[in-house]
Amino acid sequence: MNKGVNRRTLGTSLLRLGFILIALVVVLFPYLWVLLSSLKSPAQLSRPGDLLFEPILNNWIAVLTAEIPQNFLNSLFVGCATVAISLLVGTPAAYAIGRHRAGGRLTRFGILTSELMPPAVLVVPLFAISFFLHINGSLLAVAASHLTFVLPVVTWFLIGFFEAVPNELEEQALVDGYGRFAAFRKVVLPQVLPGVAAAGIFGFVLSWNDLFYALILAGGQTKTLPVAIAGYNTFRGVELGEMSVAILVAVIPVLVLSFFIQKRLVRGIGGGGLKY
Amino acid sequence: MLPLLLVLGAIVAYPLGYSLWLSLRDYEILQSTDVSFVGLEQYTQLFSDRDYLAAMRNTFVFVAVAVSLELVIGLALALTLRRQRFVRNLTRSLLLTPMFVTPIAVGLMFRFLLDDQLGVIPQLLDKVGVSIPFFNTQLALFSLALIDVWQWTPFMLLLLLAGLESLPEQPFEAARVDGASAWMTFTRVTLPLLRPIIVVAVLIRSLDALKVFEYVFAITQGGPGTATETIQFHVYRTGFQFYRLSEAAAMAWTLMIVVMAIIVVLFWQFTKGQE
Repeated sequence: MNKGVNRRTLGTSLLRLGFILIALVVVLFPYLWVLLSSLKSPAQLSRPGDLLFEPILNNWIAVLTAEIPQNFLNSLFVGCATVAISLLVGTPAAYAIGRHRAGGRLTRFGILTSELMPPAVLVVPLFAISFFLHINGSLLAVAASHLTFVLPVVTWFLIGFFEAVPNELEEQALVDGYGRFAAFRKVVLPQVLPGVAAAGIFGFVLSWNDLFYALILAGGQTKTLPVAIAGYNTFRGVELGEMSVAILVAVIPVLVLSFFIQKRLVRGIGGGGLKY
Repeated sequence: MLPLLLVLGAIVAYPLGYSLWLSLRDYEILQSTDVSFVGLEQYTQLFSDRDYLAAMRNTFVFVAVAVSLELVIGLALALTLRRQRFVRNLTRSLLLTPMFVTPIAVGLMFRFLLDDQLGVIPQLLDKVGVSIPFFNTQLALFSLALIDVWQWTPFMLLLLLAGLESLPEQPFEAARVDGASAWMTFTRVTLPLLRPIIVVAVLIRSLDALKVFEYVFAITQGGPGTATETIQFHVYRTGFQFYRLSEAAAMAWTLMIVVMAIIVVLFWQFTKGQE
């Protein structure tokens, strides 16, 4: 009897392990393949079955001496500008909403709606407006469009973190003679700093990954990385290697960043409303 | 909070109103002198526009297939990972990575992994005598949904795992004492307790999947025919390749109505836990 149970638990353990291993292979295989492809010559790329090949750096050199570094800087600029404004505007708002229930349900609803709104609705007017303001094709237009989703995401993200700060802390600070603003800055803010960092990184990743707005609003000189990558879309065999390099250039930074925020993501997505 | 309202007002509310205004007119950017008010004409025309209707249908099929697969696989993975001890954090971190990868890069990666001449997956399948035309008329939409599954199952996993790990111990103890089987415990205890978080995860994911654009743009450009034309891609084409801005705005607004309905349900779920 006991033996039977043991055999069964061993069986399920193996099954679990197998399932996890399959999932890991499915997740990691595409990364590995792109990495390998970035080191292949065009001739080798046309024979994907060959596992042994002599790695070359031609693709990397070609991509890194072309426009990709400029695209990288464009994306970096847009991401940083968007996140900076979002944190500056969103943090006090999240504090007011999370701690003092400012604005009530309607404000929360508005933030959630802006966060999840399909870009298809906003892109037409944003395009027309930037056309009239003569900023179409500029990084400014792209950054403004990214603000439409990064700002609400960051604010929503932070509400949960402000709600988690115990009330007593702030009250104590007020008793100790701090003003409201000083209490916010010196006592509450340090408590939520990890959340602020996570929200900023999350917002940056969202901005970095956007293709839709950038494709429509950016111009020839102001292409962001996703737009540049989409440009390799011609799919002539020759460009496959270079495309792989460009993909890695775009993906590696966000993957590295993602490891820092995974633990805080759930609370951020819940926006203080998700009890788990 | 005032700055937030001002900024959101300027960049979200104003364009939103502007888009509604556009959708009621007959506006094409190349003829900006002739902007007559046409009322709901743009909207009524949509319902006899075959491409639009195909795009709507494709989008809903895509969302249904992708999100339900993500839920099932995500739940299975979450249940498996909960028990795991060995290299636990590393496994989780690696499994979560796809959701952070630039979607256009995901699209292109799979485009060339699945390509019938240069792709390694068709070659491997060929060796065991299977040949799947991933991007033909019948399968293309389904293949795109599978790519979505690769990228976004981690999101489900993330939320469901957090949900599972915060469940109270007590109901499970009770089930064990009563001698419930594993399956009974899962359907009668785990699932009901997990329901709120499942609802939230499915709704957020559906809203996100409704916006699918990058995979279509990277791989099929809506084809073959209109087999993979999704609504966001159709808006892009109409508005920015043919510059029929009013028509695009009207299409976007029909999508917005669906989205708003889902957001209302989602918001209700979010605030329910607070009272």
